[in-house]
Amino acid sequence: MIAGAWLCLLAPLGGALAITLLGESISRRTAAWLSTLSVFTAFAGAVASFAGLLGRGHEEREQVTTAWTWLAAGDFDVGLSLLVDPLSVTMMLIVSGVGGLIVLYSIGYMDGDREERRYFAYMSLFVFSMLLLVQGGNFLLLLVGWGLVGLASYLLIGFWHERPQAVAAAKKAFVMNAFGDATMALAFFVLISQTGTLDFEQAFEGAGGMSQTLVNLVALGLLGGAVAKSAQIPLQTWLPDAMEGPTPVSALIHAATMVTAGVYLIVRAHPIFELAPSIADLAAGLGAITLLVAGLVALVQTDIKRVIAYSTMSQIGYMFLGAGLGAYGNGMFHLLTHAFFKALLFLAAGLVIHHLANEQDIRKMGGLRRAMPRTYVAFLIGSLALVGIPPLSGFFSKDSILASALASGGYGQLLFAAGLAGALLTGIYTFRLLFLVFLGEPSPLVRERDHGHGHGHGEGPWTMTMPVAALTVLAVVGGWIQIAGIWHPFGEWLDPIAVGREHLALVEPSVTQDYVTSVLAVGLGVAGIAVAWMLYGSRKWTVPRLAATQRTLEHKFWFDELYDLVFFKPAVLVSGLFRRGVEEPLIGGSIAGVTFGAREAGGALGEAQTGYLRTYALAIAGAVAVLVVVFITVQ
Amino acid sequence: MHGPDISWYLVVSAILFSIGTAGVLLRRSPLIVLLSLEIMLNSANLALIAFARLHGGHDGQIFALAVMAVAASEVVVGLGLIVAIARKRLDLDVDRLRVLRG
Repeated sequence: MIAGAWLCLLAPLGGALAITLLGESISRRTAAWLSTLSVFTAFAGAVASFAGLLGRGHEEREQVTTAWTWLAAGDFDVGLSLLVDPLSVTMMLIVSGVGGLIVLYSIGYMDGDREERRYFAYMSLFVFSMLLLVQGGNFLLLLVGWGLVGLASYLLIGFWHERPQAVAAAKKAFVMNAFGDATMALAFFVLISQTGTLDFEQAFEGAGGMSQTLVNLVALGLLGGAVAKSAQIPLQTWLPDAMEGPTPVSALIHAATMVTAGVYLIVRAHPIFELAPSIADLAAGLGAITLLVAGLVALVQTDIKRVIAYSTMSQIGYMFLGAGLGAYGNGMFHLLTHAFFKALLFLAAGLVIHHLANEQDIRKMGGLRRAMPRTYVAFLIGSLALVGIPPLSGFFSKDSILASALASGGYGQLLFAAGLAGALLTGIYTFRLLFLVFLGEPSPLVRERDHGHGHGHGEGPWTMTMPVAALTVLAVVGGWIQIAGIWHPFGEWLDPIAVGREHLALVEPSVTQDYVTSVLAVGLGVAGIAVAWMLYGSRKWTVPRLAATQRTLEHKFWFDELYDLVFFKPAVLVSGLFRRGVEEPLIGGSIAGVTFGAREAGGALGEAQTGYLRTYALAIAGAVAVLVVVFITVQ
Repeated sequence: MHGPDISWYLVVSAILFSIGTAGVLLRRSPLIVLLSLEIMLNSANLALIAFARLHGGHDGQIFALAVMAVAASEVVVGLGLIVAIARKRLDLDVDRLRVLRG
């Protein structure tokens, strides 16, 4: 079991190193397969750990293994330790399993790119970093993984580095993530100074003895990191721009795994959030706001990947809502099913983009159903799962979060209403995308592509269609591991972590609440689909023209403009002032003064060097004469 | 103690040294400058030997021998330089050789 965990962690690192070191001595195709193999090896390790945990009793399902003491300073020491418990194994399975499928898909998608080796090395590096994040046995290793996934995300968003937008998007993502890393590091400093340790167990115990203000600060710092990594308001603006990266990257990092790390962090550090209920409520509230804002913005986006990106933000908002209210199991459940259907949507979108030669604008698409019937089915199933139509996976997980919200008092019911509104929006934007892309008359671009390739072209190589098929199956059956009111194997599996402490009664919705929620949410989802059909499918209704609203949505509620005004412009102004007022006159001036003085002094001394031998001889003779006189007179 | 008083030797030595210094400072031919340097060295030798005789020791004489050896080597180098200058068909004039001016 422990060996499985280490194998899981180290295989992708080995893959990344091998591809990097072997360089051009292996073909691009070999590098791609090496990367795929390394990630599937990690999956095998994760399965071994899972099997090992299943073989144990409930109470012994938490094991920490320390390779060596990594860092020791006085009383404070941190081990290079892995934590294997149901939560980390769940994340390991998601990361390596979905990751493996997506890397396999990349083989077809990236085929022919000049820098394929670099791409696959980065992908393996990302999987390693993400596994380190979820397996780290203390907060410091978690932070190391946290930083490394940020790096891998930066490298992969900017993979096509000759495109200026891609580079700008990579920098934006990195800076916003760095902000979250910094608040997390500050939270850890407080933890170290108060409890003297970063081990999960000991830090949680020590946190109980801290003052309320300090606990709130720690929780706020952790929340800052989670919000930045998971693209929640107010640090959400990097995620849509991150769609500049290759589509499989969007599927793996910006939908299925990395952006859900914030949810993982909240669940992992839940004892701290339970000690700081106001911060936990803040997390849930931010999730609710994000899911509404992202759902609204998704209504007007015209880039196929950006629509899905906003949908990701919105769904992570649901997870934050659940985790913030204490429904950790349900939050993790939605994380799991979301990884399936969102990766599916992205990969299916990738098939479309691949088919249309990198066209991402949905206004140029339409009527693809005939050319790509299997992709259409996959996309339809992903969309239905996203909207939460039974019996697909999204239905079970989203409704369980909403039911928990309904069961947790007045504040929860407010969030519940927001979640229901989000369900309606989800139905509209998801099916707007589906109808615009797949239904209707084929657009000129689609006809041209079909004509050019004939009908024997197919929808993509098997390396691309196979993962899509696998994810389609998972998106259908993934939710059946937990059915509200009937059976809860997933919740029980996560139980040791979710109720490890008795600080807070976990929200446990009654069966009635479950069914009320399901009826409402499914009803609203279907209503959303119906609205989308009237507007974009049958076009019986025309899209309402509200110029101001539309402009607001198209500008994503002016967040970018606001940050530009509040942070960027003043920073440029202040640095300009410093350059003109301090840098140029003081620092530049003093250095220029030194060089000027040295040059002038050298020139003056140079005058003495006449080049006449006699001058030098006279100087020596004169000096000797003077010395003689001095010696004689002094004596 | 035979011979004239020590002061006579020193006077001759001082006169020779002055002649040599003047030669170094005033003459323009490098050959003559070298020659004047020899005169200065030998004036010093004269003073050394005179003092050696006065004190009855050998130290001064040994110093004089060392100075002669150094002077001989210096002349070799100096003459070598002069020959090199002549072979480059440059003027044998120390006032013309002033490329090292600042």
